Amino acid sequence: MAELNISKEDFLKFREFFYRKTGIQFDDSKRYFVDRRLIERVEATDSGCFRNYFMMLRFEASGDEIQTLTNLMTVNETYFFREEYQFQCLINSILPELVQHKKDKSPIRIWSMPSSSGEEPYSIAMYLLEYWACINQWDVEIISSDIDTKILNQARRGSYSQRSVGNLPKSLLTKYFTPSGSEYQICEDLRQAVEFTRVNLMNAADVRGYRGFDVIFCRNLLIYFDDLSRRQAADTFYDALHPGGFLCLGHSESMSRISSLYKARKFPDSVVYQKPTEAS
Amino acid sequence: MALVKKTTSEVVDHEERKRKRDCGSLAHQLCDPDPATRRWAARDLADCPEASSVLVKQLRREMDASVREIILTTLTQRGDEEAVAGLIECLRSEDASLRNEALEAMKLLPAEVAPIMGGLLSDPDPDVRIFAVNVLESLRHGKVEEWLKEVIESDPHVNVCATAVDLLGEVGTPFSREALENLKARFPDQPYIRFAADIALKRILAN
Repeated sequence: MAELNISKEDFLKFREFFYRKTGIQFDDSKRYFVDRRLIERVEATDSGCFRNYFMMLRFEASGDEIQTLTNLMTVNETYFFREEYQFQCLINSILPELVQHKKDKSPIRIWSMPSSSGEEPYSIAMYLLEYWACINQWDVEIISSDIDTKILNQARRGSYSQRSVGNLPKSLLTKYFTPSGSEYQICEDLRQAVEFTRVNLMNAADVRGYRGFDVIFCRNLLIYFDDLSRRQAADTFYDALHPGGFLCLGHSESMSRISSLYKARKFPDSVVYQKPTEAS
Repeated sequence: MALVKKTTSEVVDHEERKRKRDCGSLAHQLCDPDPATRRWAARDLADCPEASSVLVKQLRREMDASVREIILTTLTQRGDEEAVAGLIECLRSEDASLRNEALEAMKLLPAEVAPIMGGLLSDPDPDVRIFAVNVLESLRHGKVEEWLKEVIESDPHVNVCATAVDLLGEVGTPFSREALENLKARFPDQPYIRFAADIALKRILAN
């Protein structure tokens, strides 16, 4: 059998299509990475060549293959301080703007979803305690949700591998974690700072009560949804946010492709999406 | 002041639904002055039989973008004949946002849109035909190339053909080669058509 090759034309055609579908952009330096994965899927689907595979990918009614490929093209891992620039954006831009417009001293509410094993909500908690000067003037609630009850229990336990905490500054690792065998146990104060709840984002009954949030983190989840589910998620977040509230997506995700209701805000650290202040 | 934790039951807003959620009441609430009430009504109507007609009716007069968006999401979710017919009607609207929103919704309904695609592509209004080609751009359906080939073979309007040939640059195969060559001859005075057809042919031949 002849060795499969992805030509430059194939790569460009695929890159254009994949960007339009997912918002994920591959520059030329990622050519090898993309080619390897495309070849893997051409073989796995018995397509024989790129052209057959691309036609199947593009026109398959179920959209299963584009999902499989998206999973393969994205790095599905979580760790503390992942995409830290968004936490910097939170304290440098989002929170100052929110508190400036807040009419009362009610708590600032942050929803982080999916919680996965808890790295993101605990990172937010740590970031606020360490780097937000106004933490002593405001109450902050952090709620974190996931559809998977097993992963929620793991998040509540707060025990992490070396790889999970590898990105943390040593001082924070020492301050907030205790080594326990090969794991690191997060401290009780942080465990008590986050409420974990089970939510299926696609279930209207589950999400109906989630309202009045000032900031929502939903990073690297929507890329795994089909187009309709993305729209439903965008609608859910819209209803969950206060007018003027902010939505933070993953680096490869863009709300502009999903919904026109949010205003893209370009802050020095990151682009985030805001529910219009005049919205109901 | 610090990080505060509430229990799960405190986190969730348990406020009793203030309004009735039966289908008749929801249809009525679609006309409520409060956009938030209309949004929730549009969302909850997803499970009501025969809701598409009231949603379509409201879509055409709804001025609030956030309500319009959720009506479109619900219509897409339902995807029944009435929903699709309502979306097609929006393609004829003078409101450009509504047209685009309907177009985006139709792209999500390949199986439902396919049976009526032939009719859309032969609509007397060239703008509707262009919108139909735009729908093909993201429609996951096996007949996309065939439809595009028919457009460039027979549509008399240069802008409709230009839209189709752009797309063939991406999805074209040797199946469309002759039609692309002929297209250049059909519009000899249109440099853009020649340019776009040549790009499509180049891509096809590269494979």
